[in-house]
Amino acid sequence: MVYITSWDEFVEKSVQLFQADPESTRYSVKYRHCEGKLVLKVTDNRECLKFKTETAQDAKKMEKLNNIFFTLMARGPDADISEAAGKEQAEAQPTKKGRGRKQ
Amino acid sequence: MVLLQPDPFLNELTSMFEKSSEKGSVWVTLKRSSLKSKAQRNKMKTAGSPIEYRCLVRATDGKKTISTSVGIKDHQRFQASYATILKAHMTALKKRERKDKKKVMGTDNKEGDSKKKPKKA
Repeated sequence: MVYITSWDEFVEKSVQLFQADPESTRYSVKYRHCEGKLVLKVTDNRECLKFKTETAQDAKKMEKLNNIFFTLMARGPDADISEAAGKEQAEAQPTKKGRGRKQ
Repeated sequence: MVLLQPDPFLNELTSMFEKSSEKGSVWVTLKRSSLKSKAQRNKMKTAGSPIEYRCLVRATDGKKTISTSVGIKDHQRFQASYATILKAHMTALKKRERKDKKKVMGTDNKEGDSKKKPKKA
């Protein structure tokens, strides 16, 4: 089991994994209240990525990740991820040609 | 495996969280699925019709499993309710990483340790 320590790396790799094989990739969440632990797992039955946490802060991040996965799964792997819109705008928006701003 | 509509599923999920608060875990799995067998999918592909994918959500507490399938139209609403349920139940997680663990102030510390130490000039 590969436990990833960085949240951003986990998100990036799991999205990549899903987009590479949307048919067999699944995302699991296990919550244990008695121990106060949350474990996330993304696997495509070949590779497995895991992330574990005990903090409420990470739980909030997990909620965002849930949204990403819901969107990807319901709309398709090429769907626009709302988080991606904030961070990665390089792909979506090609260079805007200025309409004669330079004088 | 019980297949439910999204709303009853959310209710059952809530009760699962409540039941497992003393001991036990709750697993929730998300997977994309078209809910059709491979043969049907191939037929649809050759016919040229777009395959409608849905998001399959499964939840279990180790003993009982419930599931539901969410389509594009319901997913926004389901997502919002699901997030609310999670937020409401994941209360056992630590609020903040404690830097100094010198004195054990007791098990339940919501905002126990002084966040802002009043500086005495």
